[in-house]
Parts: sequence; C-alpha cells; structure tokens
Amino acid sequence: MKVLTPEGEEKNLMVLNIGPSHGATHGCLRYITALDGENIAASVGEIGYLHRGFEKTAERGTWQQVLPLTDRLDYCSAMMNNFAYCRAVEKMLGIEIPERAKVIRVIVNELSRIADHFICDAAAAQDLGSTTGFFYLFDSREQTMRIWEKLTGARLTNSYGRIGGLYRDTYEGFEEDVLAVCKTVEKNLRDVHACFDRNRIFLDRTVNVGSMTPEKAISYGWTGPGLRATGVASDVRKDEPYWDYETYDWNVVTGTRGDVFDRLMVRLAEAEESLKIIRQALKRLAPGPVSVEDPRVRVPSHERVYQDMEALAGRFKSVFEGIRVPAGEYYCGTETANGELGFTLVSDGSGHPWRVKVRPPCFTQFAAFHELVEGGLIADSIACLSSINIIAGELDR
Amino acid sequence: MATSLDNVREPVVATPEARKAFEETALKTLEKFGAVRSEKNSWELMVEVCRCNLRATVQAIRDELGLDMLLDIVGIDYLGFKDYAGPRFAVEYVFKSVYEPAKRLMVKVLVEEADAKIPTISDLYGIANWQEREVYDQYGVIFEGHPDLRRILNHVEFVGHPLRKDYPAHRRQWLSTNDYLYPALEKRLESKGYRILERPEEINPSDEEYLQGSVKK
Repeated sequence: MKVLTPEGEEKNLMVLNIGPSHGATHGCLRYITALDGENIAASVGEIGYLHRGFEKTAERGTWQQVLPLTDRLDYCSAMMNNFAYCRAVEKMLGIEIPERAKVIRVIVNELSRIADHFICDAAAAQDLGSTTGFFYLFDSREQTMRIWEKLTGARLTNSYGRIGGLYRDTYEGFEEDVLAVCKTVEKNLRDVHACFDRNRIFLDRTVNVGSMTPEKAISYGWTGPGLRATGVASDVRKDEPYWDYETYDWNVVTGTRGDVFDRLMVRLAEAEESLKIIRQALKRLAPGPVSVEDPRVRVPSHERVYQDMEALAGRFKSVFEGIRVPAGEYYCGTETANGELGFTLVSDGSGHPWRVKVRPPCFTQFAAFHELVEGGLIADSIACLSSINIIAGELDR
Repeated sequence: MATSLDNVREPVVATPEARKAFEETALKTLEKFGAVRSEKNSWELMVEVCRCNLRATVQAIRDELGLDMLLDIVGIDYLGFKDYAGPRFAVEYVFKSVYEPAKRLMVKVLVEEADAKIPTISDLYGIANWQEREVYDQYGVIFEGHPDLRRILNHVEFVGHPLRKDYPAHRRQWLSTNDYLYPALEKRLESKGYRILERPEEINPSDEEYLQGSVKK
C-alpha cells in the first residue's frame, strides 16, 4: 500500500495480518497492521471467532441454567463469573446469602484471581521468551486446580456458585489445602520477582511499551488491573463493597505509567493482596449453612425432597419453571480478575430471563488495542496483547 | 519498581445517602432534556429519554454529572414481552463514575422497529464505538453518525440480527470468510494524517457494499 506520510514522504507500507490462529493470540482473534519497516503505523482488530451466542442461549433456559454458561466466559477463573452472575440475580431478588457462603465465595474468588493473574503473567512471560517464568507461575496454579477438583468436581468449568449460595459446602481439609497453596504462591512470587524485576531483557521488552493514559483508559471503559496500572485506584470491591470486602484489610494496587510492565506487575502485587484477604477469610470460616433456606430460590436438598411433599413440589417447580425473579431491568457489576464483569438482566417476572447482557472487561481493553500498539514495534504488539489478558471466551461470548 | 502500593486516593465507599443525593441531582440536571425516572429499574436510577435528546443528555451526564465511564450499551427486544405495548426495541446505556462510585446511572431510549435509528455517542466515549457496533450487529439498530458501523461479533456474511426474538436460535449459517479490514485500516491511517496513494486493484469495495456486509460478489 503506497501512502503519503504526515511528514510528506512517500512510503510503501506493508499490510500484515496476525491471527486468528496465531500462537500469541490466546484463543482466536485477529488484527491487521500497516507496517512502516518494523513500526506499526495503524492497526485494526477483529473479534468474534469464539462467538457462540451466549446471550441467545441464556434467553432459552431458566435463570439457573445460565450458570454453567457463565463458566465459559473467563474460563481461567470460572467461579468468579458464577458468583458475579449469582450476585446480580440475588440483588434483583433482594436476598442476602449466609455468612459462611460469603466467606467461601471470598476465598474462592481470591484464589481464582491469583490463578487468573498468574495465567496472564505466565503467558506473557512465555510470549516474551521466558519459559522459566511460565513454569514458576504455573506451579501454584496446578495446586489450585487440585483444590477445585476436590471442591467442585471439575478443574476448569466448575459451576460452583448457585443463586442464593453455593453448590455445596467445602470438604474436610479445605483450609489446610488453601493455606498450602498460599505458601506456594508466596514462593512463586518470590521466584518470579527474582526472575523479572531486574532482568534487562524483560525490562527492555516491557517498560514504556504499550503505554496508556488514565484519561484514555477511562474513556475506553477500562476496568481492573489495566486501569489500575495507569494509576487510577478503582476497584469495585472497595468502591461498592459486597460480601464484606470492606471488613478485610487490603490495598488497591496501582501502577504509574500504564505500560506492559505495570500491567504485569500490578497483577503480581494484586496476587499478594489476595493472599492477605484469603488468610483473613480463613480465620472467619465458621460452621453454618452455605445457601439460603428460601425454597423459592434454592432447590431443596435431596434428603428433604424424599421425605417432604412441599420440598418435592418446590424442587419440581424450581427445576421446571425456574426461580421467579421480580420484573425489571438491572445492571450489576462485580470485580473479576480482568475488571468489572457486569450483567444487565431484564426479567419479565417469569422463571426465564428475558435478556442477559454480559459486559466483558476484556472487550473494552481490546477495543483500545490500536492505541497501545500504534507507533511501537510489531514484536511489542505481542507483549501488549498478553498484558491485557484477552480471554476470547469472554471477549466474544 | 514501578508499582506502588499506596492509594492514590482514600477509597470513597458508595453509601446509600450519597446515592440518594446523586439521584436527586441527576434527575434535576436531566429534567431539561425531558428525562423521567423509569419505574422498570427499582434497584438503581434509570432515566428514560427521547432519542432526539439522547446526545444532549449524554453530554450533560459526562460533563455536568461527571460520569466519566460508559460501562455498557445494551440492546433489548420486547417482541412478545408480557403485557407490553410500546416500541419494540430499547437501547440502554450504563454509566458510572470512576472516582465517585456513588454515581451510577442508566439511560434508556426506546426505538420503534420501523425507524430503528438512534444518534451515536461514539465521539463522547471511546468505547461506544465498539459497543454500538455490537448492538447494531445483534439487533439491527442503526447508530446515525457512527464512523464505522459494521458487524462485530458475527462476520460479514451473516444475515439477520441474532438477538432479535424472531430470529430462531437453531438457525445455522455457514460463514466462510474473515472480515474485510482494509477499509477500516485505511480509515485509521487517514485519521492519523496518512494519505493513501495506491491500493491493490482487486480489493476496493464501495462503502455501501461494505456496510451491507456483501464484499464478496
């Protein structure tokens, strides 16, 4: 493509296509770039390769049946999506979940956050050529996965949340397992900091690469670590606390320049903050119910169903007709690993959702991708892509 | 180390009082645009405006009320909704303030099916560009003045708007090609001050064809 540059120079730009099936696109997405030498003059992205009609599917089932679908949004931390969806519906129903359910949700949420942040940083390390960093960070993740297996029966798509509480209580030895993971995470963090913090190659590849200003980040609707890396201390857990997040002692981590390095390091620092929350939460874990008792919301247990006529009828109605959510339209955002995951729910008062709209946090981040990469090197666009943690399942729904 | 653990600001927790105070200010500020509180959302503030006042309302929301983040644009199809009489579509905008979390607001605009057009706000919020494309893709609502209105989640060959209630969920479509990104790339280059002198001959679709999603002939 022959162009006249703003400086009045005639140049031949090469158009290079990256993706959709490229090792560094983490799933399926595509962007094309106009290259001036090795510098990106302009870039345009395309998404939708993993679009599977989440929202259309959600409209066909009952309110509970949306839940396993939410697992497939950000599949690196499936349970956070479960809980975010449950929280939105619980808010519409106006129910408060029991104390133990809150604490377990916090523990699982923060452990998922660590796992998700570690995947992002590990993949970024891998993309930048550091296989060591990749394995350091995947170490504790494997341990976390084993907890998920014991807790929920699945590694990735857990479906552990339920509207009004949780699928089931924790298993015996859960606390010890979580504490053991915390220790591994600390060790991994030490290792990976030693590996990256003063590593000349890593710094050259990440510092002042793909910078974002806070104003632009806000205009593009960035939330989560991406926004915090630009220096804006915004976190839904602090701003609009839920599940007693305000009672835990932890900090919001912010960066200064909003570049790739900040985004990756904010994630590591956030993992440390999550550890603090987990340790405090484990001390609060007191025996009690993990779901609300209300039969209109929570399906009665099997023991009751087989002995009690009302419970049987309740179970039947709940499964076949769905939970009746009051009519209305409501948006509820929850802080997940990538940022604010919002659900806009429209109910007509029946057991089926009329409309479920997901606000995926990485959609907004990929929408600003051209701002990050333009002017930089083509190799740096890969670093930018891994630092904003695109999860195509969530991006395309 | 580049990261710092210190808070840039003390966290401002959204209290119910602060929310209430904001709701009153918001309703008073947006009164002049004919915005009325919608009863549909009994949990948080949602106002309904006419689409003719949408741009002015959003401008006031951003500049006077200080809601600096557009979280989402949601399309809704009311075809067959229980006890509902009114325009078929609605587009809802979700706003929040990053620094003052008590400020949250939804704006709802009703859109007739026969005249499914609505002014764009993509010049006011950066993210509106893609979010409006998504609503267009899924519902076929046209955003007037949008710089690059084309499908986003579905690809160019797709026919119809899948989230409309009369689009059957089981319908399958065979999509064989990527989106044609050259025009968008050229537009992007032009916005940065480049001038295109020569482009490959075989790929030069007109804008009209491109928007219709029928580049391949």
